[in-house]
Parts: sequence; structure tokens; C-alpha cells
Amino acid sequence: MTPTRTQISRRTLLGAAAALPLLAACGNRGGSGGTGTVRFEGWDYEPPLVEENIGNFSKLHPEIKVQYTPITSAQYRQKVVAEFTGKNGPDALYVYDDSLGTWVQSGYLQPIDGLPGVDEVYNGIYDANAKAMTFQGKRYGLPYYTDCMGLIYNAEILEKAGISAPPKSLDELEQQSLKVKDAGLMPYPLAFAAQLQDTWQSWIWALVYSSGGQLFSDDMKPVMNGADPVAGQAFEWLHRASNQSKIVDPASLQLTPVPLDNAMKAGQYAFNFGARYALRDYNDPARSQQAGKLKLAPIPSLDGTLKGTVGTTRMYCLAADTDVKDQAMTLLNYLGGYTDGQPATARYWFLKRGLGFTFKDLAQDKEITEALAKFVDPTIYAQLAEVAKARNVVHAPWYAEFEASLQKTTQQVLTNQSTAPAAMTALADSANALAKKYS
Amino acid sequence: MLRKEAAARRQPWSDTARGYALNVPALLAILLLVAYPIGYSFWVSLHRDNLAQPALRRFIWFDNYLGLFSDQAFLRSLWVSALFVVLVVTVTVLLGLSMALVLNETFMGRGVLRSLVLLPWAMPGVVNGLMWRTVFDAKTGALNGLLLQLGLIDSYQAWLTSTTGAFVFTAMAQVWNTLPFVVIVLLAGLSTIPGELYAAATVDRAGVFQRFREVTLPWLMHPLLIVLILETMNAFRAFDTIYVLTGGGPGDTTTTVALLTVQRVLTFTDVGLGSAYAWVITLITLVISVGYVSLLYRRGSFEV
Repeated sequence: MTPTRTQISRRTLLGAAAALPLLAACGNRGGSGGTGTVRFEGWDYEPPLVEENIGNFSKLHPEIKVQYTPITSAQYRQKVVAEFTGKNGPDALYVYDDSLGTWVQSGYLQPIDGLPGVDEVYNGIYDANAKAMTFQGKRYGLPYYTDCMGLIYNAEILEKAGISAPPKSLDELEQQSLKVKDAGLMPYPLAFAAQLQDTWQSWIWALVYSSGGQLFSDDMKPVMNGADPVAGQAFEWLHRASNQSKIVDPASLQLTPVPLDNAMKAGQYAFNFGARYALRDYNDPARSQQAGKLKLAPIPSLDGTLKGTVGTTRMYCLAADTDVKDQAMTLLNYLGGYTDGQPATARYWFLKRGLGFTFKDLAQDKEITEALAKFVDPTIYAQLAEVAKARNVVHAPWYAEFEASLQKTTQQVLTNQSTAPAAMTALADSANALAKKYS
Repeated sequence: MLRKEAAARRQPWSDTARGYALNVPALLAILLLVAYPIGYSFWVSLHRDNLAQPALRRFIWFDNYLGLFSDQAFLRSLWVSALFVVLVVTVTVLLGLSMALVLNETFMGRGVLRSLVLLPWAMPGVVNGLMWRTVFDAKTGALNGLLLQLGLIDSYQAWLTSTTGAFVFTAMAQVWNTLPFVVIVLLAGLSTIPGELYAAATVDRAGVFQRFREVTLPWLMHPLLIVLILETMNAFRAFDTIYVLTGGGPGDTTTTVALLTVQRVLTFTDVGLGSAYAWVITLITLVISVGYVSLLYRRGSFEV
């Protein structure tokens, strides 16, 4: 039988089957794949808004085509690593500050020093954010958003317990929590998201940074068991708060951020250590029973003075092997830089979803401060941004493993399986062993 | 003659050759999807291969395996896994056997009960974990509600935050998920025991326990062997329920070797060492299976 237009011979079919892998191999190229389109990937936070914003970009730059792919947050790192490993990575992408060092060393990203708009951005943002996007002296990212940690407290509960101002020191936090307990308002006034997870537990770092301590020196050597006693003292307080005064809810070990947010919005806790961003949700009457009662303060320190907090930076980066560098950089500048003299996308995200901005000027912007005042005190919001520090160890290739150790050790302290000094020794040993293993 | 030649031209291969030829696609699929990944994972386990450090990738022979002897996290997880396996397999087999013996009796509603027993088996591990997480919840959990109403506790407890509680409740959640399989296999084994044997034993004045020991148990050796092998493997590889319930905590109380392997490969992208972990799990389950077979197989061989 001869093949007709609608019938295919077995030979043709076999030939086509053999050709498919070859065709697939031809298509297996990194980035734009030679089409001129900018392949842009990010974790799946509000994809419709990202698409809307890319639509705005396309109106300004109709000559640049952008193909946006959102990836499930929980698998973002793994998926991107798999894509780059398979030489099929995007041209531009979101990057976490704690992935930057590893991804640069893996050859996935390229520096953007000297490219148009970069210096202007770095001059306009907070130092901690600039530092988080710089690796080995080179700049790699333009800012997506930032946030930092503070003490979130329920003013109404404190008032019922006869407390007029939030605590400044950790001892005050303990005493105020005991007052809340004694008033019969709740058995455990303080909670953290302390379930083991693959992402970082910001509150642990915040507890140390708020008292001016460090877990590592700037050359990434552990100092928590020797040169810097602050972390040990903070963990000592944590051990006492959890096992002696029992102000920390034991259920914290089962809490991840979302259930903790829900518990705060339901008025189940008087205090938690949370990101500033959470206040927008906490004080939204449509979503929270406690709207208007939840306030922000600096995280209490050992001696009651504000010394810092920990911040995080999410950024846009440029792939090392992109074929469309100029187009991708234009997109990056629109997303993470200035458009018509304004950090348009940073403003867009703040006004739409309250995402923290890295641009110092926005803290003085009238529209921004008015929007901020609806859910948080703008002065404290800006004050925390000024003192926030990036974790100084995130660029180490072994950081993810250390974070896992830190979380386990913290759980051991919370459940009295370990003392604070033993925890510090274990963490230092873990860091030293990891540094050796990865060298 | 011409017809034969024409037939030979149409069928140039023998039946055997054609049989092999027809199986080639399936064999290729097995080679590509099963044999190749297994072989490749062993090859990878002989490398220092962390995707975070591609420049440092190199062949290191058995260093990943030798390093396990001093890898405290691995040794600790192995110990946790061993305890978990012992607890889960013991409880599963004892409960499963008891339930199978009950369901093997004739009573009203037996069919419905047999169907209901199957339900937990239909539940994926992650869903099982989420369900038990809700049951054990420190604020709204059904377990707390029940115990409080019975007057056994004064206030809601965070069951999964104590070391013993987390370990035992996680094991129980795993038991609940795998129990139906054990019941089905043992029930099938019980249904093959000839009724005459029990009649003869009764005539010989054997009591309930004697009948169980002398008749039931020997006939159940082979089903038990299957159950022990598969349940040991299941418990050793348990991941999803534990991951959802405790994430391996508190501390490393419920960090089993399977959990550690997934973390090493997917979170730390250390595919070399992670593959070595996986091969050690395989080797251990193989050794345990061989142990079971050598212990139990012959005991179940008997003439009727």
C-alpha cells in the first residue's frame, strides 16, 4: 500500500520516531534557544501580577519578547539547578540571596557590573541589600524585594495584661509574657515557626543579630562558641523561655509560617518574631480578626538597645550563557531598576502586595508612607530597614547544610535535649566539618 | 512450492526470534527506565558530585561509602530507622495478624468490615501524614479533644514535640497506612488452611493456642515471610508520612535514613553522597530480606 496524504507507512513512522530525539536535542539549548525571546523564570508568587507587569514592560519595549515561566516555590531551586545542569536554563531569573554564591560558583550567573543602570541602582538601595547581591566583589543582581524581621505583638492583649509598651530586652519579653500568662489570657504568649524546613528560619538569625551578635566572622569562620558570646546568650534565653518560664508554645515545633500567621490573626499569641511584610495581612480586616491590634517593634535584644536585625534580599539575575544579554538586561532594569527615574516595579509590588522595597528614596515617598501607615508604623518600618544585616555566610556552598543543622539544634534547645553551650559547640563543629567537606 | 516460498518470504524469522523481537520495545523500556538509572546511580555514588560545585566533580572510588562510617548524621539516622522498622513491623504484624484472625471468622457484617479495613491502604503517604497531623494537632487535634473529654488530660498537648511522642505517633501513623496490606495477605493465607486440620486438632483436644501454634502459624509462614520482607522495606523507606508529620524533628529524633537521603539529594543537591545513602539502604534491606528467607522459608515447608 502506498502512503496517501492521510496514511503513513511504517517506514515513515519509524523514521519519524528516530528523528524525534534528534529534533529534541536540537531544541535543547539554553536560554532563548536562538529565538531572540527572553526566557524569564521565577518562583510562583502572584504569577498574574508578574504577567501584568511584563505586559507593561512589553508596551515600553515592543521589540523584546518575554516568555515568563512561574515555578513552584517549593521546588524552585532544584528545578533551576536541573535546568542549568541540563544546559537549558533561562536568560533572566529570580534568585534567593542564599542561592547566589552557589549559583555563581556553579557558573549559572554572570556579573552585571558596568552594565547600564546598575551603578544607579546600587547607589540608591540599602547597604545590606547591595551586599546580599554582591559576591566576591562583583555585582550579580538587581533587587526584587527585601524584608527584615521584627517583633510583632498584639497591643490589645498586652493592654489587657496591663502592659503599655512592647519589650525592648529579652528579659522584658519574658516578664511581659509571664504577665500575659498570669492574667489568664493565654498559656503560651510567644511562638515561632520552628518546624524543620528547607528554607531558612529567619527568627533564629534575628534573635542573634538583634543583640549585635554573629554566628560567623566575615571570613565565614564560626564564632558562636568562642569569639562572639552573644549567640550563646541568646540561645540561653531561648532555652530558659522554653523550658523554665515556659512562655514559648511547644507547638512551635509543628508550626510553619502560614499556620503561625493564622494563629496570630486569630489572637492565639501575644508575640512572634516575623517579617514586616506580614503586618499587611495581619492588619487587613477582611483577613484577620485582630486587624488593627497587631503592631511592629524591633526584636528585643539582650541589653535592650537596638543593634540590628536580619534581612533577606530577593533579586533578578542574568544567566551566564544567555544569547540575549542586552534584551534580558533591559528586562532586568525594568524589573529591578529605574524607569523614568522611578523604581517602578518596586513601587508596583509594594502598592499591590506590600513587598518590601530596597530603594531608600521610597521610604520618604508620600504615597508609599500613606500606604504603609495603613498597616504598620512607617518609622519603625524604615528603622528596621536601616539596621538590617544580611547573613554573612549565605554565600558559602555549605550554607544550606548549616541551616539544616541550625534548625535541628534550635529544636533541641527548645525541647531541652541540649543546653545553649552544647548547642553552640555542636553548631561550630558542624560548620567546621562542612567547610572541610566542601573544600 | 511457490506458495511455501512466498510464505517463507513473508515470515523470514522463526517464532522464537519473533517473540524476542516483539519483546524488544518492552526490554528497551525496562533498560532505559529501570536498569540504566539504577546502574547510573551506582556510578554517581562513586563520585564526589554536588550540583552546587560542578567544578569539583570527580571519581573517588568508594570514598562516599567509607565516609559513612564516620558520618554521624548518617549513623544516627540509621539507628532511628532501625528502631522505626522494629516498632512499625512488630506492631503491624501483631495487629494485622489479630485482625486477619478476626476477619477470618464468620459473623454478620464481615464483608463490610473487610472492605473498611482496606480504606487506609488507598490513602497516599502524604495524605496519611496530613490527616494524622490534623489529628495530632496541638490546638485543634481530634486526639486532644477525645482525651480531654475522657478526662485523661487537663489541657491540649503538643504530641509531636516531645522526642518519644514524635517517634511513637509517627510510627503509629505509618502502621495505620500499611496495616491493610498485612491483613489482606494474612487473610489470604488463612483462607488456604484446610478446615480438616482444625477439626483433627480439636479431636486431639488441642486448645485455641495449641491450634494456633501447631496449625495456623506453620501455614502462615510464607505469607508472613512476604509481609515481613515488604513491611521492613516499607518502614525502612518511609519518607512521606514522617516528612509531613515532623520533618525529621524534634532535633533528629525522627530523621530516618530515607529522609536524610532525600534531603541530601534534593535540598543539598549532593547527588554523589545521596546515591551512596540510597545504595546502603538497598543493601541493608537486601540483607534483612535474605535473613528473613533463611529463617522462615524452610519452617513453612511442610507436607499436607
